[in-house]
Amino acid sequence: MNKKLTLEEVTGKLGRFGTVEQARFNRIRVSMEPDTIRDAIIAAQGDLACERLLAISTADNTETLELIYHLIGPHRTVISLATRLPSHLPKIRTISDILPPAGIYERQIHDLFGITFDGHPGLNRLMLNEDWPEGEYPLRKDWKPEPGRFYGGIREDRS
Amino acid sequence: MAHVVIPVGPQHPALKEPVNFRVVADGEKIVRLEIDLSYNHRGIEKAAESRDFIRVLPLLERVCGICSHSHATCFAKGIEELMQLEIPQRAQYIRTIVAELERMHSHLLWLGVAAHEIGFNTLFMWTWRDRETVQDILEEISGNRVNYNMNEIGGVRCDISPEQAGSILKRLPLLEERIGEYVKMAKSQRTMLMRFCGVGKLSRAEILRYGAVGPTARASGVDYDARRDDPYLIYNTIPWNVVTDEDGDVFGRTKVRIGELRESLGMVRYCLENLPGGPIRVQAPKTAPSGGEILSRYEAPRGELVHFIRTNGTDKVERLDIRTPTLANWTSVAAALVDQNLADIPVIVAAIDPCLSCTSRLVVADRKSGKTGNISWNELRNGVCRIRPGSNRI
Repeated sequence: MNKKLTLEEVTGKLGRFGTVEQARFNRIRVSMEPDTIRDAIIAAQGDLACERLLAISTADNTETLELIYHLIGPHRTVISLATRLPSHLPKIRTISDILPPAGIYERQIHDLFGITFDGHPGLNRLMLNEDWPEGEYPLRKDWKPEPGRFYGGIREDRS
Repeated sequence: MAHVVIPVGPQHPALKEPVNFRVVADGEKIVRLEIDLSYNHRGIEKAAESRDFIRVLPLLERVCGICSHSHATCFAKGIEELMQLEIPQRAQYIRTIVAELERMHSHLLWLGVAAHEIGFNTLFMWTWRDRETVQDILEEISGNRVNYNMNEIGGVRCDISPEQAGSILKRLPLLEERIGEYVKMAKSQRTMLMRFCGVGKLSRAEILRYGAVGPTARASGVDYDARRDDPYLIYNTIPWNVVTDEDGDVFGRTKVRIGELRESLGMVRYCLENLPGGPIRVQAPKTAPSGGEILSRYEAPRGELVHFIRTNGTDKVERLDIRTPTLANWTSVAAALVDQNLADIPVIVAAIDPCLSCTSRLVVADRKSGKTGNISWNELRNGVCRIRPGSNRI
């Protein structure tokens, strides 16, 4: 197993994309603009040997939706690339072509948060049932079930 | 021959949860796999946002009945780190004992399911009988066979008395002997060799490309194990080894899991023999700091489990994002199935130990004629696949 990555090493390779900070002894976080994420991931894959995608975490900050891509490699240091998208029009380019496991995570995020991943080969439903109403994203903070609306399952007979 | 779409799922009584596969096949060979997981979304992540830390732990145990301790520990250790709590050594040992017992019962369960999928029901009966020993031990410690509810923020709920430790230690030699038996069987048993060897093979490069985790990855020589890579609990202070294999097929995954059974047993024994004294929990603050964020990693029996936790200064989480090992493994299953026989679907899918289910009902559709019909899980298992007349058109 290789040595852990240091903050300096990561700043050297990814510093041009955004602010680099040490979140914990083996977690380094880089915050950046949405349009640089893809290049940053390619750079992390190439220069920092990040060969695996641990997860794509999502959080709703009301005005913005946050996406955090956690990458890891033989150095066993988690590089978290974070970005914010505007809640009213959350859109970002897919990374499923450069990191195949992202495909299924992006489908999940699209389902629950309504973030569109441009260029995803099949952004179909994954988590929510097929009769779930379009345009409702249950993990957003402002989401509340609307009384009287049908959210799937068996329809109650209202006779 | 025209491609045929075979929906597999969503219900199957033998496995735990529902999932729907659309298997595109050319003759007996699989071309592509599409997955729909939408049958079991229970909104646990959303529910976790509205419960305080005391109530969220039992909720998280119910993410999965088999690896309930994994979810609760993963969350508890994340929150404790955010609260900067020092957890007593004794509690860490007890958490580790339960975690490794859980791994043993999960792997024994898997071995039984895999044996059942290839029609080797004797092994299924044996492993599930031996699993009962592990379940009994867990019940003795926690009072429950599943959903042990051992964790609290700040430590564990109940202690292991010296008598309990003694009685558990007495039962370990039998389990050890049985595990030794499975090691021997895996090496020489003809049925297992024939049905497992070369099936669902994934190379090291493919595992890395498709992001598989846990025993699936380690069976292809990808030695990622969160217990060693990102040490938590007491894994960096007790003797154990990461088990890997180079075969990369279902056989390799079997060997890795049997090897891990041995390692887990060793760890349980070591922890029980060296259980330190002292308290089992500390008083935890009611609230977690504002703006806290942590990615908590945990090696669950099926692979690496990730909880992304954000706190906001209250007694509830701002956000809890759970990435389960099975979700990470689906991409590799879809890859492993390509160009394999339809008959190997059960065992390849079972080889990742999915925390979701397959099916007893299959609808076969012939695109050319538009005909559909049913085939049973048994027919699929035995490699027979024929289209019976049906009325539905896909």
